[in-house]
Amino acid sequence: MNESLTHIVLDSMFINNFVLAVFLGMCSFIGISGKFATAWRMGLSVMFCITVSGVLSYFMNILLVAVHAEFLRLICYIIIIAATVQLTEMFIKKKSPALFRELGVYLPLITTNCAVLYVPLMLTARNYNLVQTTVFSLAGSGGYCIAICLLSLVRERIDLSDVASLAKGTALTLVLAAILSMAFMGFAGMGN
Amino acid sequence: MNPPANNTGPGHTSAAIPMIKILGSVSLMCGILIVATQITTLGRITHNKEILLRESIEQLLPGMHKQITYGIEPSGDLKILPGLEGKGHRFFAGYDASGNFLGIVIEAGDRGYADVISAMYSYNPDRRTITGFQVVAMRETPGLGDKIRSDPGFLANFKNLEAEPDHPITTVKHGSKRNPWEIDAISGATISSRAVGRALETSVQTVTPVIARNLDRIKRGI
Amino acid sequence: MSDNQAPIACHGATSHAVDDSPFVNGLWKHNPVFVQVLGMCPTLAITNSVRNAIAMGLATTFVLALSNGLVSMIRKIVPNQVRIASYIAIIATSVTIVGYLVDAISIPVSIALGPFIPLIVTNCITLERAEGYAAKHKVTKGVLDGLGTGLGFTFALTCLGTIREVLGSGTFLGFSLFGPHFEPWVLFVLPPGGFIALAIWLMIFTTWRSWRAKLKKATTKPGLVAIAEVHS
Repeated sequence: MNESLTHIVLDSMFINNFVLAVFLGMCSFIGISGKFATAWRMGLSVMFCITVSGVLSYFMNILLVAVHAEFLRLICYIIIIAATVQLTEMFIKKKSPALFRELGVYLPLITTNCAVLYVPLMLTARNYNLVQTTVFSLAGSGGYCIAICLLSLVRERIDLSDVASLAKGTALTLVLAAILSMAFMGFAGMGN
Repeated sequence: MNPPANNTGPGHTSAAIPMIKILGSVSLMCGILIVATQITTLGRITHNKEILLRESIEQLLPGMHKQITYGIEPSGDLKILPGLEGKGHRFFAGYDASGNFLGIVIEAGDRGYADVISAMYSYNPDRRTITGFQVVAMRETPGLGDKIRSDPGFLANFKNLEAEPDHPITTVKHGSKRNPWEIDAISGATISSRAVGRALETSVQTVTPVIARNLDRIKRGI
Repeated sequence: MSDNQAPIACHGATSHAVDDSPFVNGLWKHNPVFVQVLGMCPTLAITNSVRNAIAMGLATTFVLALSNGLVSMIRKIVPNQVRIASYIAIIATSVTIVGYLVDAISIPVSIALGPFIPLIVTNCITLERAEGYAAKHKVTKGVLDGLGTGLGFTFALTCLGTIREVLGSGTFLGFSLFGPHFEPWVLFVLPPGGFIALAIWLMIFTTWRSWRAKLKKATTKPGLVAIAEVHS
């Protein structure tokens, strides 16, 4: 399939947004979207990890296909992701200890973020070339960042409102996410 | 229970070796388990895939008794493939119990709304028309895009769809079909309908010329 | 109750104060979806039909049992620094194996579950159970915990799948419930519906738990509280 780059961007960022349509990165989405300041930092870290591991997985896939070891795909992708996250951690720790402290335990948890593993799986299934892979990784993770930031902004406002105690916490976040998801459904057909 | 973290001093190298040994043995164990499972299940999985394929082809070519898989080589020549073989272009020729040629089934696929739509269609090489269509796999929106599988109005498009080289198959807005090479889209599922049109057109362009060149041979089943 | 507060990222309630059978704990008391709020991705994505929900749940149960078992086996010989890497390698192996098994059992189900089978690797539950339980207990207990948690997960997925399929398609396991003239509430099989259905179940579950807690408080004398808790 020859997907145009514009189509990839619009599709992975809005129409099939990683969080609101494909349901990836849910744990962090629910857990970290409390404050906007944390949310956008997390969003950017995830963008970095996804883009780097996406491109590395592209090359790893070429290697695996060449040696007929496709059954090792999953393990290799996970190793790449774990290594990328580890490197990101070390990089952030060195460049900005304050940011490192603020992100705290969330950084190593990027390893278990479904969105990060989804990208290599999809680029394999859809046979993307290197440029399409990079664009897909950037745009898709950008969509994750947008979604998490939007949700955190809404949650910050709601924090000061009177909410029934039965719906406080996760249930309310899910309902907010539902509304955001419905809004994003309006992007269907964009760019076609 | 666990050896304490020891990153400084002369003990460092000796702490690294057990780590490498353990990681190595864990990886080895994992590798063995994966390969063992793959070998054990390979036969069963291939069998399942063959059954699914055969069922789809039988639905598209009723009365089919025997099927031959033809692969298209890069040079454009035909080669008979045993069972299910790898990637690359291929099509299936169906024959009834007496060995008479029934028709051809071809695979098609394109990116729909959510993900790739895989489909198969039956083709009549004498009249050069598509006579049937079936979705094999899709992840379209339930209630909207997934109607391409079952909507009777949409499926009626494929009873006699012209597949000539001078008129490419096009998907048109619901209700505005005027020509036999057009597909009437499902109202509210334009993207999925267009994907089907594109998939069919691409497949027709690639496969039907080869069929036309080798029609005599295919009809005789060699 | 503080149970309905969103836990930090993947850190759910991990303390198993009363060491009941690990099977029962995973299934009910510390249900991974409703109590610990883990494993959200497949819970929301795969539950638009009951058949897919059950298949996903059983696949995850298998992965949990197998990876917990393997992690328990190697827990005493793995050095601290590489333990997470080893656990992840084991989980990835179990998931690859389950991928082949699902393909061997039913290819249509495999297609329906799609990319979410390999995504079991990133399901917070597997790593949390491996690190939080299997690494500290014997193999049999580890496997039981995996089975219990997995079945609890399957139960939660089925609850969600039921609402979504019944309201969103008018069917249950493919059998039409309301006849051909039922206008399905399509929203429920679409992404927003997943969020809403889970929110509803979480609210039901938290209400039920707080009622039970209030009931227990009202009907037991202080000295008998410990016995009542063991029996619940």
